[in-house]
Amino acid sequence: MITSARPTPAGAHERADIDVRLRADLSSRGPVLLAFGSAIVWLLVGTVFGDIASFKLHLPDWLVQQAWLTFGRMRTVHLNAMIYGWASLAMVGVSLWIIPRLVHTELRYGRLARAGIWLWNVGLVLGNLGILAGYNDGLEWLEMHRYFADPWLVVGGGLVGIALLVTLMAREVDHLYVSVWYVMAAYLWFPIIFAVGNWPGFTGVESGATNWFYAHNALGLWLTAISLGAAYYFIPKVLGRPVYSYQLSLLGFWSLAFFYALNGMHHLVGGPIPEWMITTSIAASALMLIPVLATAVNHHITMVGRFGALRYSPTLRFVVLGAIAYTAVSLQGMLTALREVNRITHFTQWTIAHSHVGVYAFVTFVMFGSIYYILPRLVQREWPSARLIQWHFWLVLLGIALYVIALTVVGVRQGLAMLDPQVSFQRSVEVTIPGLVARSVAALALTAGHLVFVWHYWLMVRGRAPARETLVFHEARPILYEPEPEGALR
Amino acid sequence: MFPSSLAVVLTGLLLGGVALAAFFWAWRRGCFRDLEAQSRVILDDRDYRLVRPWETPQQRAERELRHGAAEPPAPGEWGGAA
Amino acid sequence: MMRVWLLLLGALATVGFAFIVLVAVPGVMLQDVPRPAQLQPYTAEQARGREVYIANGCVYCHSQQIRDPAFTTDVQRGWGNRATVPADYVYDRPHLLGTMRTGPDLINVGQRLPDEGWQLLHLYNPRTVVPWSIMPAYPYLFAVRDSASVGPDARVIAVPGKYAPPPGRVVVATPDAMALAAYLISLKRDYPVTAPAGARDSAGRRVAHTMP
Repeated sequence: MITSARPTPAGAHERADIDVRLRADLSSRGPVLLAFGSAIVWLLVGTVFGDIASFKLHLPDWLVQQAWLTFGRMRTVHLNAMIYGWASLAMVGVSLWIIPRLVHTELRYGRLARAGIWLWNVGLVLGNLGILAGYNDGLEWLEMHRYFADPWLVVGGGLVGIALLVTLMAREVDHLYVSVWYVMAAYLWFPIIFAVGNWPGFTGVESGATNWFYAHNALGLWLTAISLGAAYYFIPKVLGRPVYSYQLSLLGFWSLAFFYALNGMHHLVGGPIPEWMITTSIAASALMLIPVLATAVNHHITMVGRFGALRYSPTLRFVVLGAIAYTAVSLQGMLTALREVNRITHFTQWTIAHSHVGVYAFVTFVMFGSIYYILPRLVQREWPSARLIQWHFWLVLLGIALYVIALTVVGVRQGLAMLDPQVSFQRSVEVTIPGLVARSVAALALTAGHLVFVWHYWLMVRGRAPARETLVFHEARPILYEPEPEGALR
Repeated sequence: MFPSSLAVVLTGLLLGGVALAAFFWAWRRGCFRDLEAQSRVILDDRDYRLVRPWETPQQRAERELRHGAAEPPAPGEWGGAA
Repeated sequence: MMRVWLLLLGALATVGFAFIVLVAVPGVMLQDVPRPAQLQPYTAEQARGREVYIANGCVYCHSQQIRDPAFTTDVQRGWGNRATVPADYVYDRPHLLGTMRTGPDLINVGQRLPDEGWQLLHLYNPRTVVPWSIMPAYPYLFAVRDSASVGPDARVIAVPGKYAPPPGRVVVATPDAMALAAYLISLKRDYPVTAPAGARDSAGRRVAHTMP
């Protein structure tokens, strides 16, 4: 965008730009607020269940009188509330806000998207109540009932996807920014993998292979895809400079799509499935180096020389740390897939630490950062307290750091103990106890951070926050300013 | 069973072939040219001109040179109360 | 410039390719896995026990697979006499291979711990028999009743020590507990599977999906 290339006088062109953005934000306001609001309720639910499950691992006689309170059900609700409630709904909110902005038009079929979010929530409530009542499909990440709960998610997600696709078709820009690819592809991928994962006909090791085909892709082609899309938007947007190399982002996207989808069997290394499947997944895991490096270079080189921005922008602080965590978790994942490492770390707390680097330090951090950026632009108010954001940030950062370090360390010790047949199994349990206790402490820090965040969010949506000063001037524009003819918007 | 039948394998391979052909065709048509323009689509003129308090004087001067007179950011411009 | 259809078609192709490699092709290859003569289908009670196992999330702490002895010590640890193979799971729907060993592997627990009384006591409270265990207690799978009200066919569990019920009362296993114990005792994959000659790949590794 060189100044001399403008088709219209400078002022009008710029007003048009801002106007387009404002119209995009106004159009998506309702559905995005609904998605964020329900995501935050699920964040609280998932937090409480996660806390209880964590304490139960070192207090095995605590809360055992009722079936619904048992560890196996608390942990399962924690996972489902966090993955399909918090992370997925926050991502739905980000998608619905970001796509209209990226394609310079209003959100189409906003009501359909809203209905989709409600349906998704109904499915979650049914699925999680079912798990507590003992209705569990028995597959990790697919526990919610495949007939009573899951169809709501498929239809709900589908409706959101349709609204996004119609919006995309009505786009007023030629270029599809990299975030659009990630988000739109995710809405295509998710229903496919979810349907395959839930297909009831698989038996034995085939059921295992399909389970991990799904579960790994739910992380890679759904959670990761939309979170990377958000990171690709916020990092350059806040810094005011384009990503380092667009070619790399193209390479990163397609290699992620190709290699990530093949990774799933590394969850079954050494297991009873055909050797070539595991080898394929290990190879694909190693080849993840390509998308990970491409994305890492793009995110981190764009930041180089501008790390001071982290002090000024809470959004950037969360998103950039999330992007760093993505690089870290991917490298760790490649390492873990290698047989030499896997023989130690498989079946241990290492895996739990690893999954929380992915879903928390990466996905959840990016979502926190996104919400800090998006919410003021939806409710036209400023976040009332920089201090609350600081508390939120440091509590969750230190919490997840303690969580990951504690479980990684005891995971390795546990794995080494199990690998030595001279060492009793008892020993492999005992070495984990300090880590499990430390994890409960970390869980309390994370809980405190979430409460601070939810309280701050509540202040925003209840109007206890200062109005956005600058947006008064933005807001006035649609009234005072006559829109340019269509062509000027491009 | 349907999802793992030979018919599905063959259909899938066929679809994959179609996708590969489409890619090649798109490449030849130039769909992947002018990529850098895409990387700028999220930034408008105001984004470029806003004063970023973390930038060095040199970075700021460069920004002014390329994008015109600096403009103060709005409170909360960078997402969240800093 | 990037076309929407190109994006969606490409995305479809990548996930479709992975689906074929990891789901469809293995499905075709595995559909003729023979059913081992020594492996019986689950009885109605064992199947019910399997449902209890799933509903209470046992799979989150217990695996059901013995890995290749070439690079693990699962066999040396005494969890089985050989690596498990696809034929060992032909009656498992869904699979319960598991990803954690917070507790020990269970695919041969019926061979290691075949005593129903031990299993029931352990389920009522693991620390009655394994003091260092961190497994949850499952008192809700049992009923604590007046000893006078218990009929002769009820399965009474003699709970020792500090977990014992108050005087005059006894711990009785519910049908769910009985079914779960029956399922656990049924878990045995110790019959021989000898791969036929030539059932090793070029690297000399055991080809896991072959059966006599």
